[in-house]
Amino acid sequence: MNLKWTSEKSLRLSRILTIAVLALAVIILFLIPLITQWYDDVSGKNPIMPVLTVCLYLSDIMAIGALWELKTLLANISKQELFTERNTKCVRVISWCCFGLAAVFAVLSFWRLLALLVAIIAAFVGLILRVVKNMLATATELREENDFTI
Amino acid sequence: MPIIVNLDVMMAKRKIAAGDLAERIDITPANLSILKNNKAKAVRFSTLEAICRELDCQPGDILEFVKENDE
Repeated sequence: MNLKWTSEKSLRLSRILTIAVLALAVIILFLIPLITQWYDDVSGKNPIMPVLTVCLYLSDIMAIGALWELKTLLANISKQELFTERNTKCVRVISWCCFGLAAVFAVLSFWRLLALLVAIIAAFVGLILRVVKNMLATATELREENDFTI
Repeated sequence: MPIIVNLDVMMAKRKIAAGDLAERIDITPANLSILKNNKAKAVRFSTLEAICRELDCQPGDILEFVKENDE
């Protein structure tokens, strides 16, 4: 049995984890009414419940979107298609999902200050991904130029 | 693109096939096709030199500058 860790195995692990988290996000989407009901029961009648429910739905939908793009990106990487416009689009969509998530949690922070921390982290990750997207777009242009230099 | 590659015209004049020329100038037929169909973004001097040598012509016989608004 070959126990040596390779990039192929690493890629497979990333794909498995992405699909698992995607499945979890989809399951959570259907469980949101139960989660909010449970939170309502635990915390007593909470006035922020409608806001919390909307925020949970929006953030879960954005997480599903980002994970779906991540799954596409990993599939492209395993096909050795790295510097393509499709991959740039994937990173851009994931980046916007992070910014969207930051906006949702920034709104939630009016009621729960701790949400501001999540909003800042999401915005920071979104910003990093935006720079990665810019880098990927430039790399794609350079690759195309190199491929079409005869 | 304002630079037009007239390689097919020169190849027809010299009566040389694409596969034959590709082999002689040591590039793949796929790359020669990119060059012929004006899809190339740049041409190496070594490639241009090999083409001119094999087709017995000048770079100006292959490359032509056409202004963008000229139809």
